[in-house]
Amino acid sequence: MEIFIAQVINGLSLGSIYVLLVTGFNLLLLVAMIIHFSFPVVVVFSMYMAWIVLGLTGNNIFLGVAAGISSAILFNIITAPMFQHIMKKRGEVDINSTMVLSMGLGMIITDFLSHSINSGFPIAFPDNLTGRAAGPFIQFGLISMSRGAFLALTVGIVFVTGLFWLLYKTKQGRAFRAIAEDPNGAKLVGLPILKTGLQSYALTGFLGGSTAILMAILLGSASPGLGDQLGHKVLAVSIIAGLGNLKGGLIVGLSLGILEALVQGYWTGTWSNAIAFVIMLIAILVKPKGIFGMKL
Amino acid sequence: MSLPLYYYLAIASIYILMTWALYLPYRVAHLHFMVVANMAISGYFGGYAATQWGWPFGAALLAGMLIGALLSWLVSFGIGDAPTFAVVIVGFTFIYITKTAIENWDLIGGTMGMFGIPMVKNLLLYAYLFVLVTGIFIYRFDHSRLGRAASAKFVDKDLATSFGVNTKHLGMFLQTWAGAIGGACGVFYAFFMNSLFPDFFTFHIIGTTMTMLFLGGYTTMWGPLLAAPILWGLPLILPTSIASWRQIIYGVILIVILLLRPEGAVTRQFIRKIQVKLKLVKLA
Repeated sequence: MEIFIAQVINGLSLGSIYVLLVTGFNLLLLVAMIIHFSFPVVVVFSMYMAWIVLGLTGNNIFLGVAAGISSAILFNIITAPMFQHIMKKRGEVDINSTMVLSMGLGMIITDFLSHSINSGFPIAFPDNLTGRAAGPFIQFGLISMSRGAFLALTVGIVFVTGLFWLLYKTKQGRAFRAIAEDPNGAKLVGLPILKTGLQSYALTGFLGGSTAILMAILLGSASPGLGDQLGHKVLAVSIIAGLGNLKGGLIVGLSLGILEALVQGYWTGTWSNAIAFVIMLIAILVKPKGIFGMKL
Repeated sequence: MSLPLYYYLAIASIYILMTWALYLPYRVAHLHFMVVANMAISGYFGGYAATQWGWPFGAALLAGMLIGALLSWLVSFGIGDAPTFAVVIVGFTFIYITKTAIENWDLIGGTMGMFGIPMVKNLLLYAYLFVLVTGIFIYRFDHSRLGRAASAKFVDKDLATSFGVNTKHLGMFLQTWAGAIGGACGVFYAFFMNSLFPDFFTFHIIGTTMTMLFLGGYTTMWGPLLAAPILWGLPLILPTSIASWRQIIYGVILIVILLLRPEGAVTRQFIRKIQVKLKLVKLA
């Protein structure tokens, strides 16, 4: 039973990362109407940027965190015009083109990381960021929680709560949702489409950068292929939940984290990841439009 | 024929077929990446059948195509009419599961790979004959009622449905056909290389074939036929220091073509212009 509880706690930490990634992905989908398939690749890129700055500044955590977050925001804003160019006509085919464009960006980032940084070898984050040296943060028998896992879980909950509050309880959130619902109607009532669109890119960048730091703390390392693997999971979670469904993404993201942790707890080896993929595959084949319904 | 030229022509034929395998389902806006998994499964089956059971190449090719078609057909019951992103993620998931299964299965060599697949005389000729036959079938499809139905579905699914097009059956048919081509590619690749490694069947094939499809143009079968040999050959003629950045080059090409010429280099209008110039058709 202790193993089960320990794995559920680990799963919640991992799931909170998935939730942050899926929420950022869904936000771009809802407001900017783009399928940013490589959003997790951008997050891994930010992890690398944080790692570089940490190395250059003698592990200055403040500057490392700032580099991680600002690189994701900058990347999102710089690439926004490309997506907007393709999305001039809103329709299913154009959404597909944004996904292909995003895959192209992902190819460039992944190849750049595997060629240019640390000779393509995985990177490890310093102990003063991950808190590995300090030992477990909470420990009851077999149940233990590292400082990174605790931080990922709490910050994940705070961020997702804050984002839901922003989207559903504030004027700015209503603007985001109005543009997603009916861009022409939103323009007619005087909403600044371009400004709001850019704000959504910046907000998603902030979310992506923060997720990068949390992942650095939780995982303690990163590799160029990490973004691709996360990208598949994020898109799968989003489809299973229902594309654009924020609440569904929250539930399915946490469930996937717990499922993976349980499988890893009881079934070691490389098969554990594949089992999660098999379950995701069955869910998509049975309900390709999602469990909670699409919000597009 | 020199070995580098043979190698270039061999892999070019595989990429032409793989890009066509992506092109067919994309006629109904499905990016069916599962063909890469089909390629791996059929390639390993063909290789195993040839080395362990002594199957001749023809039998391995036929079995590989059947396996590819069968797998895609079964999966198409779930995604025959699904949105593109669902088709994409099913493809990625299949690739991941297939790769993990191959890596963990010692019987077919695991991570070490499979060796000793026999050489076949005139294999290059067979490969290009296969390209020719596949091309004829695709051409016939493109110029048939089914081809027009696929074009209608690509532009507006609701309109196509109102015209009586069974979009699910059409999607299933194209995914199954693509699966068969993917399977054939796997068997050809296995016999060309005489060995197989799980690391080959990864996401770089998707990136490469997707770039070939979008650069060549996804509205006609001629685009992939033109783009695949050019893009595959490009890194071979570049200096090694630049060629090693192949995926970045492909990524940049993909983005530029999407932004500047979204339908790709060879469009239907382009083909029509050439036909008019060659006086194959009269100007309407």
